[in-house]
Amino acid sequence: MTTVMNETVAAPGKSIIEKLNVFTALALGVLSAIVVWRLSLAFLPEDSEVRLFTREDKITLLSMCAWFVGFMTGIGALVGPFRWLMGKDLSHDENMFLAGKDMGPKRYLRYTTDHKVVGIQYLFITILIFFLGGGLAMLIRTNLGTPEGGWLHAQAYNSIVGTHGILMIVGTIIMVTGPFGNFIMPIMIGARDMAFPRLNALSFWLIVAAAVPLLWGQFLGGITTGWSAYNPLASQAPLGMDGYIMYICIFAISTMVAGANITTTVVKMRAKGMTWNRTPIFIYGTVASVALALPAFPVFFLSQVLSAFDRALDTSFYNTAGGGSGWLYENLFWLMGHPEVYVILIPSIAALMEMAPVFTRRPLFSFNVAVMGIAGISGLSVLVWAHHMYISGWAPLLNAPFMLTTELISIPTGMLFLVLVGTLWRGRLWMTVPLMSIFALLWNFMIGGVTGIYLSDVPADAFLHGSMYVTAHFHYTLMGAGLTGALAALVYWFPKMTGRMFDKTLSWVAFWLVQIGFNIAFVGMFMVGLAGQPRRVESYAPTFNTANMVTTGGAYMIMAGMLVLLYGVISSARSGVKAPMNPWQAKTLEWTVAYPIPLENFDVLPTVSSDPYGYGKAQS
Amino acid sequence: MTELKTPNAPQWWKKPDVKKTAILWVICTAVIGYIGVEFHVRNIVSPASENMSNIISLIRIFTWAASPVAGLVTAICITVLTSKRHYGDNPPPEADHEIRNSPRATALWLSISGLLCLFALIGGLIVLEQESEGVLDTSAIQVNVTGQQWLWNFDYENGARSEDLYLPVNKPVVFHITSVDVKHSFWVVQMGIKMDANPGYTTETAVTPDKIGVFDVRCAELCGLLHAYMQTKVHVVSQADYDAWLIDHAAIEKGA
Repeated sequence: MTTVMNETVAAPGKSIIEKLNVFTALALGVLSAIVVWRLSLAFLPEDSEVRLFTREDKITLLSMCAWFVGFMTGIGALVGPFRWLMGKDLSHDENMFLAGKDMGPKRYLRYTTDHKVVGIQYLFITILIFFLGGGLAMLIRTNLGTPEGGWLHAQAYNSIVGTHGILMIVGTIIMVTGPFGNFIMPIMIGARDMAFPRLNALSFWLIVAAAVPLLWGQFLGGITTGWSAYNPLASQAPLGMDGYIMYICIFAISTMVAGANITTTVVKMRAKGMTWNRTPIFIYGTVASVALALPAFPVFFLSQVLSAFDRALDTSFYNTAGGGSGWLYENLFWLMGHPEVYVILIPSIAALMEMAPVFTRRPLFSFNVAVMGIAGISGLSVLVWAHHMYISGWAPLLNAPFMLTTELISIPTGMLFLVLVGTLWRGRLWMTVPLMSIFALLWNFMIGGVTGIYLSDVPADAFLHGSMYVTAHFHYTLMGAGLTGALAALVYWFPKMTGRMFDKTLSWVAFWLVQIGFNIAFVGMFMVGLAGQPRRVESYAPTFNTANMVTTGGAYMIMAGMLVLLYGVISSARSGVKAPMNPWQAKTLEWTVAYPIPLENFDVLPTVSSDPYGYGKAQS
Repeated sequence: MTELKTPNAPQWWKKPDVKKTAILWVICTAVIGYIGVEFHVRNIVSPASENMSNIISLIRIFTWAASPVAGLVTAICITVLTSKRHYGDNPPPEADHEIRNSPRATALWLSISGLLCLFALIGGLIVLEQESEGVLDTSAIQVNVTGQQWLWNFDYENGARSEDLYLPVNKPVVFHITSVDVKHSFWVVQMGIKMDANPGYTTETAVTPDKIGVFDVRCAELCGLLHAYMQTKVHVVSQADYDAWLIDHAAIEKGA
């Protein structure tokens, strides 16, 4: 491989591949959208009084599809498949160019197949999504800081709630498996790249392509339905809903592609000697997450396609008057929606389980229990979706069985707790942000888990469902547990990804601001939920004043912490202390390669002879 | 479990960190259980039906049942955090053991979480069973509830119709709930009942108000622009007042 790398780069301008980048993609995407928009305006027949928005919906959806196809063509996603159609393939030089052989900064703006480039790209877009979603959260909390006096228009407020929801869901889904699953995971298993490098680039650029319809939708009336976009509300929503539909469809494809790629990579490309019981637990978490996404996201995709049909073609999948049912949508949505929370949670917890032995200098407690816990959660999580529908009236007789499966999931979840506290027990604590994040996760996930018991109980849910209590509960699990793990992973793997250490002081300041602010904010939200404040309301009765102000104050504290963290990422990446090859003295394979990591990671592929948790007396 | 084989090592329950954790466990369980229960009971609305009283007792029981587990996790965290901390840029020396698992701890943990899970399930099922029988009560007062963007309409058996709900105290009532446009959720806050209003379908829920007073009805499912304002009052009155009100309103409907 090294000989290949020393060859000169082919002269620029020779291949179409070398001419395409994000700018040509944007240009072609915008151009196609405008052309199709003008054409459909000119040629689509007028509506025959059936529905008000049908023609506009068709035009919007067609233009967005045109954007999508134009963008993906412009970025170069179709060059390979097109060559195959012609019975050819990319040349060796073109493949090396795609892999980012020149190692220049421009490869971050191209359809680059190197998994490390894709990892950094994912990190960048995850930060961007959290920045946008967090900004919207601050708008929501500012609006709710004063009762009755919401300064946002009700439609703007509803749209901000929906956009915040879907941005954060997407952001949290990709926050671990995107940056770390792509950058770290292949090195951790001792592979030269992912199994399908071109699909890897595809999965990233699909997310970029998806973002534009969502932003576009903000100017077409917004997403006024909340992130769950229940029908029939969604079918009467403004054209912004089409942006949501396109966003979900493209994102679902991205997730499926990434899921197939990561699963194949782990199954087929682990280093010699890396048997399943020597595979790091983070790898299990990543695979469980993307493997869960594989059945979940096609259903999400389908639910939105049917929604688009109902809007643009006047079908009646979800319209009772035409023979459909809103319950169909709810089932499809939550068939994705509940596995999806574990898609978010499992890799975060697995990342912390990976860090636990490193920062306690002792072996992971009960590797087998950890694997069983992850497998148990994954298996049960596809059988619990209807607990979101206890009070929908869809099937009251099914409430008891769904209560059973939901409460059963506390057993494998408890196993993950056991692994974490077991590893902390009698360890030597190395006081760092990743270590403290384990404590923070245990605390937040405990509160999220116990409140989940009340919510899983059908009679109690009749009171709590749809209240702020639920909002606080899932923020405790997805943000308090999930995001905490992802931030720890960022600090932990930062030296490997940037060659520099994350600034210690900044990471501590950010950690405490975020964790304290978080607990203030969401305890206040539990209080208003118990007092009877529904979710997604832009104003509320004066009795809820105090706790809402507390929540808003906590939210500002989280924002301060996140801004410190963002500053820490930028300043540490530019001018942080140069990191040694293995700053944490960890035993997984990614710490055996020096920064900058060469194009194909390893000169000689490593051989593994034990699991990476051999800390403790016998080894020293 | 290598240290158990050393003859001079104290037995595991006599080790200082185990003792410390055990004491902390008792304290943490009590504190977490107490704070957890008080937090919920003080903040939750005061009940106006047996359903709501049941919910509050369920939360109380579940909190106490979960507090030993939460207390143990907290106790272990405190024990660990108060010993053997290491600051600095280089790792601390490795731990003085290499315990990779403990079948005893795992088995204990699994059986306790299994039992707690079973307990929560049975508790929920008992209450659920009692409450689901309510909707079959044909001798109860029947009220049709219709949600629309963004208000509630209540239709009574004698033809009266209102936007505020009126109910007699201590009489079972069955709600038949539907919607004319999008999905709403009919939530009588202080009575602890909630049921979605679906266009084209009728769903049922039942309750027996046990307190005279004015309570809140709110929509609990995002239903468009003015979802936040889709709320009304429920007036629970004595049987005599209710009868009088009902006759008055039936007359108004007929006159109109």
